[in-house]
Amino acid sequence: MANVQYSGVRESKPNRYNDLGTTGVEVEENFKKGCLKRADRSFAQGLQCQQINSMAALMSLEDSVFISHSPQGCVGCAIMAVDMYRVGQIHRGNSIIKNPRLIVSNIDQKNVVFGGEPKLREAVTKAVERYNPKLAFIYASCASGIIGDDIDAIAADLQTEFPDTVMVPIHCEGFKSKICASGFDAAFISINKYILKKQKISKQDNLVNLFAPTTVSYADQREMERMLGLLGAEVNYIPFYSSLEKIKKIPAAIASTSICKVFADEFMKTLWEEYEIPYSHTVMPIGIRNTDKWYRGIAKVLGKEKEVEEIIAREHERIEPLVAKIKERLQGKRVFICGGTGRSFAAAALIDDFGMKLVGIETPTYDADAQVDIEYLNNIHKDYVVDIANMQPFEQVNLINKLRPDAFIGVPEWAAKLGIPTTHVLDGKRPTMGYDGLLYLGNKIADQLENPGFNKKIAKHVKLPYKSSWYDEDAFKYITEGGN
Amino acid sequence: MSAVMENPKGGCVLAGINSVLGAIDKVCPIYHAGPGCCMQTTAADQGQSGHKSSCFVSSVSIPSSNMLEKEVVFGGTNKLRTTIEGAIDIIDADAYFVLTGCTAGIIGDDVLSVANEYSSKGHPVYAIDTPGFAGDSNLGYEIVWNTMIDQVIEENVPKDDKLVNIFGIIPYHDPFWSGSLEEIDRILSKLGLKVNTFFTKHQNIDDIRKSSAAALNIIVNPWLFKGPAKKFEDKFGVPSLRIPGLFVGATDTSKFVREVGKTLGLESSLVESVIAEEEDYVYSYLGQAIGVVSWKRFAVVADANNAVGYTKYLANDYSFTPVLVIVSEPIFRPEDKERIINEIQNLEYAHPPKVLFLTDQYEINKAIREEEEEITLLVGSSNEREISLEKDIQFILGAFPTNERLIFNRTYAGYRGSLTFTEDIYDNN
Repeated sequence: MANVQYSGVRESKPNRYNDLGTTGVEVEENFKKGCLKRADRSFAQGLQCQQINSMAALMSLEDSVFISHSPQGCVGCAIMAVDMYRVGQIHRGNSIIKNPRLIVSNIDQKNVVFGGEPKLREAVTKAVERYNPKLAFIYASCASGIIGDDIDAIAADLQTEFPDTVMVPIHCEGFKSKICASGFDAAFISINKYILKKQKISKQDNLVNLFAPTTVSYADQREMERMLGLLGAEVNYIPFYSSLEKIKKIPAAIASTSICKVFADEFMKTLWEEYEIPYSHTVMPIGIRNTDKWYRGIAKVLGKEKEVEEIIAREHERIEPLVAKIKERLQGKRVFICGGTGRSFAAAALIDDFGMKLVGIETPTYDADAQVDIEYLNNIHKDYVVDIANMQPFEQVNLINKLRPDAFIGVPEWAAKLGIPTTHVLDGKRPTMGYDGLLYLGNKIADQLENPGFNKKIAKHVKLPYKSSWYDEDAFKYITEGGN
Repeated sequence: MSAVMENPKGGCVLAGINSVLGAIDKVCPIYHAGPGCCMQTTAADQGQSGHKSSCFVSSVSIPSSNMLEKEVVFGGTNKLRTTIEGAIDIIDADAYFVLTGCTAGIIGDDVLSVANEYSSKGHPVYAIDTPGFAGDSNLGYEIVWNTMIDQVIEENVPKDDKLVNIFGIIPYHDPFWSGSLEEIDRILSKLGLKVNTFFTKHQNIDDIRKSSAAALNIIVNPWLFKGPAKKFEDKFGVPSLRIPGLFVGATDTSKFVREVGKTLGLESSLVESVIAEEEDYVYSYLGQAIGVVSWKRFAVVADANNAVGYTKYLANDYSFTPVLVIVSEPIFRPEDKERIINEIQNLEYAHPPKVLFLTDQYEINKAIREEEEEITLLVGSSNEREISLEKDIQFILGAFPTNERLIFNRTYAGYRGSLTFTEDIYDNN
């Protein structure tokens, strides 16, 4: 085991690639042979920065304040987490829907020259005096990082001044990583460093850490809790909709698992190395195969292999007739998938439940984890394009226009304008996951794909911004060697 | 100049610039910025303004150099060049604007020179060298127009005495921008005028290039656009008429129509016949629901433009009782504050409400929580829903940020918008 502390930057791990245009067969082979190279795009569209993920991951925590040491624009994307937090409160039956306490230090021209420390101190002080929070998360930004403001030192100093609030600085400077999931790691590294502090506490014999990002609906939370409950586990649902107390309980757990493949995966490794908590890292529980796999994974860690098989058999009895009905409606449809690392591969497995055929998949990162998924997919689907890209809609529409799939799974905005029927496996407000989630999701997919009138009509009226010549070019034209 | 702020309403200057450019048909921003800036700035304004965003390019479809550590250390101008070249190659835009994120601004990349390399070859590439940290969305609106005046709008365009330019309503930063501009356009068209809204009816960069032909710049805002208005007049000789607040309802809208008519020397019989027809339209509806909406003591939390409009309509035209008005955008010049206070407090019959200038959510909530007089209606943004629930006050979503509804062409402005506003105020409790 190397002694080098993981920095939180996902690119720092070997054999991880962000820019690649290939096929399923080719990428499996090249990865095996070690022939893949780090690359870049000479032309690209905007990405999601890691700061967005660091903020979103924690913004529903109780008794917390969130201080962004940045110009005002860097809290723009916080609205997505704010919205999930507000809607989540409604779903959980709260009557007074609270805003998260988000304070921006508002770095300006003067601070860029003279430093922004006084404003960060002012922001933290205001936050603590206003809300007397248990936790104060302090987020770095590109600007604070480049001008060299030492958020760790300021946090340490403020910690002495405000002993009742745990100060948690998070190094999520956007320029450090092209992979937004790095922001999750940055958040967990700080949680470990400033809250858990490697202290071991007494174990609770049925407690399981379930790591959940903001995009998980309350319906999905309940389904995951139901499933783990059937195995006799008590769930410590974190960090979405949790609290300092629940975070502090993490080391008391006997096992960990996560709902998302790139959420807390590195942290669960750390929990094993530093707190001896075993974990299951499999797939997102979307679709029959993946839900089974996810369920068996955590059951194995809990020593409940036999019990889980009985439960799975019961659940299948309940679900399979529905899946068979949906399969009749979807069998043979050609699908293009675009999503985050977890969702895209989950969707790819899901379409196999329904007998659909994969023609293309777009996912942000390729690594050993993705290789496992691709090996599985290559056994089922013989010929499909793989675009390792964080969105990059210009490549997506080029590929879709050539492949003309029967269905697109992912953010519908661009495929819809080509008239392709669209659906999605991401819905933070409605069910998607587990066996119960599949009942809703399956019907949604079948219904949406059978009734594509909106997309067909809008495509006649609304044009994508690209020149017609772009559609004749190689979609991967701008992928160049020499990335960092 | 920027202050520490809780739950800020809007984004950085880059967000404002992106909002404005995104509303002009077939204009493509190119970000020379960090990897998250396209998404963050789009979410900061477009993402919180009733859920519609630029149909051409927005968020992760905007070309970006995505500056990482390598660019921070060694400079990013080469990355910017290949990004501009790619954008010109594949994006079918009428104009490209290179924008500067904080990263590019701090390390000092020369975006103007790089943009010049392409414009000198005949490509419509412009640069705006104002990094994100320079200010807020409002400043972004003025920065875009200063850029247009300096680099885009043509001189010596033949004058058209029926053409007017509308300024002061920021696309995607005012949730009702689209509907408000359409209502203004509708009303002024009835006076025989040609209206440059710049952001509706697929108006494009050519409409901006030729906007110096206008007879009048009409600024619908109590404070915004002071600098660009002067610059516009100095360079192109187009005078300005400032309407010190959005008009909601018959009284203020008719006042607006008369002022425009007078300034342009329009036939007063035409002006009065349009007013009569429009007022009849409004009152024919209001007459069908007298006493239906129960009486309220209201507070407003909004940008200055909408705060003036809502307060004056509710107090002057609908006989509600104004209690507290909070102007929730940063306003720096004392004379602007005075003008706004004057507009809000100078009411026909009602007692003037208290006026506060607060941008920080904690302070806004505190002012409402501690208000001694009873409030039974609050018109505000999604951020004020919490305090309205806490105090059990009827809440109307009427200001930025607006998250809980989808808004296409809805507006509370003008004659017709005031009917929509009144519909929304109806409360069956």
